Amino acid sequence: MPPRLNVSAFSRSIAFRPKPQVQWPARSALRVAPSQTRTYADDKAPAQDRSHKPSSEPIEHVSEEAAKTAQIMGEQGPDVNQGTPVEDLVKGDKEAQKNLPKVMQDALKQGKKTPAPKGSRSYSTMTTRSNEGMDMGLVDFEAVSKLPVTPGLKFEAPTLPLPKDGHVKHRYDPVVEQVTNLLMRHGKKSVAQRQMAVVLQHLRTSPIPTINPARPLLAGAPPPSHLPLNPVLYLTLAIDSVAPLLRIRAIKGAAGGGMALQMPAPLSQRQRRRTAIQWILGAASKRRNTGSGKNSLGQRVAQEMISVIEGKSGVWDRRNAVHKLGVAARANIVLPKRR
Amino acid sequence: MPSANCLRNFSQLSLDATAHSTAASRFLQPRVACFSTSAARYANPQMKKKGMTAAPKKGVKTLNTKKSKGASGADAGKRPAQGERKAQRKRIVLSNNNALEVSSLKDLTKTNVLSEANEGLVMGLPEPVVDALRDVEAFKTTQGWSFFRRPAVLVRKEAIQLAKLFKAAEEAAPGKDKKTIRRILTGNRMSGKSTLLLQGLSMAFLRQWFVISLPECQDIVNAHTDYAPLEGSEPTQYTQDTYTAALLSQTLKANKAYFENAKITQKHDLAVPLPAKAKLSDLVAIGVANPEASWSVFKALWTELSQPGQPQILLAAEGLSHIMQNSEYMNADVKPIHAHDLTIVRHFVDHLSGVKQLPNGGVVLAATSKSNAPASPAMDFRIKSAEALKIQTSIPQWNPYTNGDARTMEALKDLENPKADLDILEVGGLSKEEARSIMEYYAESGMLRHQVNDGLVTEKWSLAGMGNIGELERASVRARI
Repeated sequence: MPPRLNVSAFSRSIAFRPKPQVQWPARSALRVAPSQTRTYADDKAPAQDRSHKPSSEPIEHVSEEAAKTAQIMGEQGPDVNQGTPVEDLVKGDKEAQKNLPKVMQDALKQGKKTPAPKGSRSYSTMTTRSNEGMDMGLVDFEAVSKLPVTPGLKFEAPTLPLPKDGHVKHRYDPVVEQVTNLLMRHGKKSVAQRQMAVVLQHLRTSPIPTINPARPLLAGAPPPSHLPLNPVLYLTLAIDSVAPLLRIRAIKGAAGGGMALQMPAPLSQRQRRRTAIQWILGAASKRRNTGSGKNSLGQRVAQEMISVIEGKSGVWDRRNAVHKLGVAARANIVLPKRR
Repeated sequence: MPSANCLRNFSQLSLDATAHSTAASRFLQPRVACFSTSAARYANPQMKKKGMTAAPKKGVKTLNTKKSKGASGADAGKRPAQGERKAQRKRIVLSNNNALEVSSLKDLTKTNVLSEANEGLVMGLPEPVVDALRDVEAFKTTQGWSFFRRPAVLVRKEAIQLAKLFKAAEEAAPGKDKKTIRRILTGNRMSGKSTLLLQGLSMAFLRQWFVISLPECQDIVNAHTDYAPLEGSEPTQYTQDTYTAALLSQTLKANKAYFENAKITQKHDLAVPLPAKAKLSDLVAIGVANPEASWSVFKALWTELSQPGQPQILLAAEGLSHIMQNSEYMNADVKPIHAHDLTIVRHFVDHLSGVKQLPNGGVVLAATSKSNAPASPAMDFRIKSAEALKIQTSIPQWNPYTNGDARTMEALKDLENPKADLDILEVGGLSKEEARSIMEYYAESGMLRHQVNDGLVTEKWSLAGMGNIGELERASVRARI
């Protein structure tokens, strides 16, 4: 009798949600174009319906296949009523174990110990960057892959992934561009760009920041020693770390008695950044101007960014106040009843 | 000294004024004796009592045009001390601790500084040279020294040309006919003229020449320092004591190695007595301490340097067009003084124009500027004719309707003479190999986060207007995005 599914082995690792693999959907020229005619779902005996043919049946599971083989051979195969875990299949097979996903490999290594649960907060006010990891600001360093050669192309197919600055309208970092636009006054973009250059230069030459553990930065942030050499990441990290998750919408008169109803509303990533940038710029313009000359605003903005990273800035209190209010106003959210 | 009686009468006079009130009413305004302030000092100022007017009625709006005192927005903190803001603006930062150490960076040394093998390499400046360059104010705030771990320069094609000139001057020095090579650095804006001048200065420091550098010609002629006519000069020349003393002080600090052993060999006629067994550095220190003696000390120093066996001299100046026109100073007839009538400028221009030769040979270098330069049509014309000579086209004609400065035309006339050793050194764009070399240095320092390949080099080289080094740095290091 082959071993049954080991339930305890999956107890923790099942919770893992693998990241969607970002991959270029390689389009083959040989792909069959979908049929142009559409049929109703309940059409009787449509011409193309091959779902009942034996060839369209799904491939049987390993265990079922093994059971059938055993039946033919006249032996006792595995019990088909229970599934066979992959761990059992690859047990002792080093080659196959290498091809397992990382989680399962880790689970194999860990054995039967269950890791302690992490985190004690009932709700989280942290956010992680959803789709991509931290942008390291390196250009042209990813391993390039070439598309398969397709005959009939006039020019060579591009190497993938496409370079970050490949599109003329989106060649600059989105955060830098957003900060520049918010720095701009009276439509003078080149002045704003010069200030932005001053900000980046100041971040680049300032000493390594010391992180305040009471003000945690974004999860997955690089160590502070990496920041000055990558000023764009420095800037992004400062902005994203203090960006509020929501705003409080006051609905007039909805609370009764002429009171406004405080309703938390989620913000998109760009909106969150915009709020954070405006807080930071406001704090920077209130800073004491110790120098003179045209670069002083850029320097103050950069000093404010550094104090955000070091957890000294008052912007953190502002964000915490918004979050606190948001948690209090959760009660005002009325979700539609479930039927 | 007036008698006491007289004073008393005088003070009585104003007290008597009460008698004829109408006539003297305006004198009465202080109501005290003119020569006594005690009453005014002790008088209690009559303060207007606050809150005397009735409070406004409830519901009635009153107009309040006064701005609220001590508004919350007002900043009551301590202001920066006098001169602190400017010091911060003008501060020269030569190192960035965050930048990565470039392992392949080699230093310039006395032996390799003039060698042609360095062409296209980025070379570090050794510590003593950096100090000396700092003393002569060769680093500018607009240059990108603050990005990198320590100062380094690209040895470009023009730097090799300059090195050859230095070599020629050194080789001619032991012989009979000493060579004075004179060059004017020209080129586009941000093409690296000041940096090339800095490279020339560092060559001179490394080869142990004597360096006198005018860090910014504008400071000599903009009438910010005192001036006085020089006695016995015809036509009148003007000395600038404070400026000369500062120049002597810079020269003393920068040429420390030379002054350690230099002795006084000649007899000098100075207003300030020299101590017995004084060294040359003591003489210069006297000029620094007593600005009124600074010009005679400068002349004495020059006499000492003119003696046989002394080192070659590098005379350098930056921002040439400032001294090729009238200065901001006025003479006794309230007419502008020509810059060539200022003694320091005269000293430099004489050597640049070839009126005087450097006694032990050497190089006279003058850098033009394209960003802070008053229009000097005469200088531009001479430089254009020198360019025409180089590319062997027809020499341009002087436009008779422009107002040219005759003394400048005269001083720079050797530029039109192919046989004279006054010439221009044109600082152009980098070649792609040089651009690649400096961009690799940027990338190794961690300031350019990009793989340096042919595509990138060509892109930035083209964006920088065919390799203008300032624009190249701007495009690759100072991202203006």
